[in-house]
Amino acid sequence: MTMEEMKNEAETNSMVSMTLYAVMYPVFNELERINLSAAQTLRAAFIKAERENPGLTQDIIMKILEKKNVQINFTESLLRMAADDVEEFMIDRPEQEFQDLNEKARALKHILSKIPDEINDRVRFLQTIKDIASAIKELLDTVNNVIKKYQYQNRRALEHQKKEFVKYSKSFSDTLKTYFKDGKAINVFISANRLIHQTNLILQTFKTVA
Amino acid sequence: MEDDVKKVKKPGIVSPFKRVFLKGEKGRDKKAQEKATERRALHTFSLSQPDHRIDPDILLNDYIEKEVKYLGQLSSVPGYLNPSSRTEVLQLIDNARKSHQLAGQLTSEQDAVVSLSAYNIKLVWRDGEDIILRVPIHDVAAVSYIRDDSLHLVVIKTAQESGGSPCPSSCPDLNKSQTLSSLSESGAVLVEVCCLLVLAVDNKAAAEELCLLLSQVFQIVYTESTIDFLDRAIFDGATTPTRHLSLYSDDSSSKVDVKEAFEEEAGTFPFQASMEAEGNSPSASTPASPQTKTASEGELSTTAAELLQDYMTTLRTKLSSQEIQQFATLLHEYRNGASIHEFCINLRQLYGDSRKFLLLGLRPFIPEKDSQHFENFLETIGVKDGRGIITDSFGRYRRTASSASDSTTNGNGAAGGSAASDEGQEASEGDEWDRMITDISNDIEALGCSMDQDGATP
Repeated sequence: MTMEEMKNEAETNSMVSMTLYAVMYPVFNELERINLSAAQTLRAAFIKAERENPGLTQDIIMKILEKKNVQINFTESLLRMAADDVEEFMIDRPEQEFQDLNEKARALKHILSKIPDEINDRVRFLQTIKDIASAIKELLDTVNNVIKKYQYQNRRALEHQKKEFVKYSKSFSDTLKTYFKDGKAINVFISANRLIHQTNLILQTFKTVA
Repeated sequence: MEDDVKKVKKPGIVSPFKRVFLKGEKGRDKKAQEKATERRALHTFSLSQPDHRIDPDILLNDYIEKEVKYLGQLSSVPGYLNPSSRTEVLQLIDNARKSHQLAGQLTSEQDAVVSLSAYNIKLVWRDGEDIILRVPIHDVAAVSYIRDDSLHLVVIKTAQESGGSPCPSSCPDLNKSQTLSSLSESGAVLVEVCCLLVLAVDNKAAAEELCLLLSQVFQIVYTESTIDFLDRAIFDGATTPTRHLSLYSDDSSSKVDVKEAFEEEAGTFPFQASMEAEGNSPSASTPASPQTKTASEGELSTTAAELLQDYMTTLRTKLSSQEIQQFATLLHEYRNGASIHEFCINLRQLYGDSRKFLLLGLRPFIPEKDSQHFENFLETIGVKDGRGIITDSFGRYRRTASSASDSTTNGNGAAGGSAASDEGQEASEGDEWDRMITDISNDIEALGCSMDQDGATP
């Protein structure tokens, strides 16, 4: 896949599509146990629809919640759900570096998903931020190691994705600074969701290029 | 007769003893009153109740003063002292008062002002404003409030050598070493020591207010440090190189489109912003050396261009315009022959303790010949081990002479992209580094100039 194609795909897989894999994929996984065919058909239909209309899945979910009169904070719930592994993004190479990549990504997503539980206790939240910092560093180190070791022909796609991840990490840091002034937790949740999405895109990029 | 004399007290007649005594007391009262009226007003703010919340900006950019009585400072206190233990702390204080290390009776002689900010606790005498001591916040371990009958004590546990000196008149001349050694059955045991700063306030409310203010200071400092830690982690991960040191690669796709790299960060890259304001394309020329820039556009790797971009963006956010100019000057001097040692020392001084992690970002730009010294320097100042208020240890990429020569003699393993074993190639690599450094230096110096012109503030 060329650089341009990767970029387009990344833009297509913008954060609004996170609802598809964070919320619907686990539903389809459950459904497969009951009716494999129906689950696969639905999955394919949702993927296609989401690709053509980014954000469609989220709109459907929101409408269902509205109809059922379920009062939840969608962003917060999405964050709590986003830590789960998405099979489509996991790299299935056996080499240790790629397994490390899976592991570091999983660790970062897990700690980010804990933010809603920790944010109201300042001391615990600060410890969570330290853990997030370490997880980001470890993921980036692993990314750097893989890029350096394998010296891919299409390294620009990997470098681009790494750069995007760094950008959203910095944005997350800025959001935290603002949070400690204005106390608006929702922005932290949004930024954390974005960072999780970027983490998944890193895995997806490596999976495609490797 | 005598009884009559005793009983009848004519107005205006006062016992000589009383006359002297009362005159003295009145005089002292008058003096105290005069002193009180002469004293300046404290720099203070109204605090929101009931938790005495203060605007964090005041602690960060201003300060708040409170009146206290300074009883003294105890040194070489065992570090394992539990500041929450009333018994332990009072025992120490009682012993100190008995041995006159701390003031016994409280008088106006102990009147002092404590000045609080996110940076330090400063104590000055109420009259005369002479400084007693200053404790940086990172040296403060704990704050306790102890009520001892009518006495409201605020006890601050600090590091032993906190930058301030104990009150010389009341404290013995103690050994200022960090540890005491004491013999035990198994041999000498080193014990960490600390200091106790003992203050008294008027009442419980004043004590609680002081404690809560300090608590807010801790929160601010710890929060700032945590965010700083996060920024360092991101910066370090982002700037660790992803390719081996040899700049020779058969991969033509690694040739950079500098314009593309700059445009991706439109609006965030200050150099580009200043160039665009002048109507120039970023890829066409620089103020310093247009031809060099054009010639090197195709030579700079993607990694180097992005690293440069990231580093300059960071510099703009972390340094003031004056500091950027100082950085540009130091870089210029280094390029013109100043030693790596001098460069490192001056940079360390410029960045200070809170920004020393910025040195990490220079790693990719240090020529091979100086890299070993640079890495050693990072280690000595504790950047490599990630030392700081919040400690952590990262595995750092260590560029050694051996790995550098490996990359030039053995290539890059499977990729084999940079195999080069003859001296000619090594000399060319050195030229390439020099060119990179030249380009980077020109850009940074231009950034310093553009900030001067724009009157930008950090």
